[in-house]
Amino acid sequence: MSVEEKSNDRRDFLKAAAFGSAAVAGTAAGMFGAAGPEAGVFGVPRARAEGERYKMAFIQWQPHTVPAAWSKGIEEVLAPQQVVDYELLDGQNKVEVQASLMETLISQGVSVIFLQPIDSVALAPSIAKAKRAGISVITLNIDATEPHASHVEMNHFFGAMDIAKTMGDAMGGKGKVAILNAPPGIIIRDQRTNGFVEGMKKYHPDIEIVADQVADWDRKKAQDVLNTILAANPDLGGVYGVNDSMALGAVDVAKEKGLIGKLVIFGNDGEVAALESIEAGELTGTQYTDVYQQGRLAAAAAVVLATGGVPATAFEKQSHLLMPYVIATKENAGTIQPSQRW
Amino acid sequence: MNIRPTSAALILFFAATIAFFSVSAPRFATASTAENLMSGFSFVAILAMGQAFPILLRGIDLSIGAILALVGMVVFDLTLIFQIPGYIILPVALIVGALAGALNGVLIVFLKLQPFIVTLATLAAYRGLTYSISGRQLVPGLTTTPIRDPWITGIETYYDVGGWLGISKLVQMPWFPLSFFIMLVIFALLQTVLLKTRFGRDIYAVGGNYEAARLAGIRVRTVTICAYAIAGACAAVAALIMVARFTTATEALGTGMELTTIAAAVIGGVSLTGGIGTMFGPALGAFLLGAILVGLTLQGVPQFVQQIITGGILLAAVGYDRLLLLRRRKRFEASIAETQ
Repeated sequence: MSVEEKSNDRRDFLKAAAFGSAAVAGTAAGMFGAAGPEAGVFGVPRARAEGERYKMAFIQWQPHTVPAAWSKGIEEVLAPQQVVDYELLDGQNKVEVQASLMETLISQGVSVIFLQPIDSVALAPSIAKAKRAGISVITLNIDATEPHASHVEMNHFFGAMDIAKTMGDAMGGKGKVAILNAPPGIIIRDQRTNGFVEGMKKYHPDIEIVADQVADWDRKKAQDVLNTILAANPDLGGVYGVNDSMALGAVDVAKEKGLIGKLVIFGNDGEVAALESIEAGELTGTQYTDVYQQGRLAAAAAVVLATGGVPATAFEKQSHLLMPYVIATKENAGTIQPSQRW
Repeated sequence: MNIRPTSAALILFFAATIAFFSVSAPRFATASTAENLMSGFSFVAILAMGQAFPILLRGIDLSIGAILALVGMVVFDLTLIFQIPGYIILPVALIVGALAGALNGVLIVFLKLQPFIVTLATLAAYRGLTYSISGRQLVPGLTTTPIRDPWITGIETYYDVGGWLGISKLVQMPWFPLSFFIMLVIFALLQTVLLKTRFGRDIYAVGGNYEAARLAGIRVRTVTICAYAIAGACAAVAALIMVARFTTATEALGTGMELTTIAAAVIGGVSLTGGIGTMFGPALGAFLLGAILVGLTLQGVPQFVQQIITGGILLAAVGYDRLLLLRRRKRFEASIAETQ
């Protein structure tokens, strides 16, 4: 089915039918000298058959708490629409699998594809292909180099700036900090790091970033890396993990060395383990994003596009949506409801 | 060298699979699905044909996916960091792949190690090497820079064969990707080498009985090294196709591909006991696996179920291979008994 055909939903059909019959009746009664404004409607209705459904799918990177929560949020919005069939597909951490799934979805003629691309460049040709077929692609968290309908992401850069501000405040505006970083090669790593560095420069110029080391997103690895950093910088005042797992690894080290309360530790993501650690007074804080909500917002955009008959080729520019966030600390972590925790 | 029964069974099974999904899976029997299969699985077929060479020698190449990643990263670095033109990169890529494969062979014949162990070690080593030479990590900004060299991206071209032949007026024809024709050329080349040359006969001899081949004066070491080099070169071709398709290379490219290609080769009737099989089986086996994956996805079958089904088919193929082996043995014993 072509995109144009999709653009005619049931309401268009009813409207056209009503206008159409009115126009026919009017003409028959000799009421219109010339063609009325309704006449244009005659050409439009290639009606979408009653009961016709939209198909949407989400291609995730690999099974993980974040895409699982997105998918839950997406489903929460799509299910009550009653006209959308939705499925979650697994990219198995391989670009070739994601590309192959993209092609399958394109030939299936889906309306919208949600995509968490493994690589910004590698999936770009597939996105271009989808666009040529009129299919809107909405990326989550990781953008692609090929412009598409929309990109919905956590507020990596500005959130990290706020983390730096809050962290510096907690450190009294001076001291040394270390960054436990992800391996290079992913945009969100750069955003989360650069935002933090910029934030420190802006709000707390007296704080020195003494180490920036790769700990592979991993809690265990973060413990080893931080131990090494501490050996070189025994007077370290703060640690920033670019995800919560690495920050929790730093908490493990702080516990072991009796540094809880002395070492200011911040994470990023806001997963449930991090929030619990904050409430227990171990982790100082994290950037919390409601990822269910992120899925819901993406799904809302998708429903608007699909039922509104907006083809992927209609966009002048790719739209961007940055997620609202909270810098969660001991003071406000309790306000994050159980249903918002992931 | 009795290859017919397996091939016939495979073609029948392939046809049955296509027929089954055409009836049961929505939009399977369309030009775009055919196009997806050709563009998404031609490189798997090439890898599977490469994998068949070590298996014909009763060996195995687990490093094939890592060689793919290594070659992909070499191409990435040469284009984006060193700005070397594509017509130089293409042969360099093939040489790198062949050398990486040949090293497997050298280690196997000179250190007298099990192919499984050697290629497991090089699987890790080549993957590690890929990470260490990765321009994505060494030069910031390259992760978001697509490769634009026309010699490389030109591999991802589609031809309107149906339009040329005038068939498109009658039925909707898929556009054929260049990678599919590359696969056909490699198939023709390797099939000829295997069936018409002395080297090909040596492969079957060494795979059938290493010691007998050696005593017959076949240079078993050279044959082995060449077989692994061919597997490496095939991985290089696959890498070029993937880099062209994705306009980039990632460190994780081709992960797990060794298992897919072994499955395709075995399903294609290449016996794990060595010395039996041709290029036809692995190539068709790869497309069979592809058709099953695409068909099941279109049917909405969850992917973990797909993996179980793929595993089941592999087991069935190995079982069938075993059955044929036992039957051959029985026939052989019977013929010996007759002559006595």
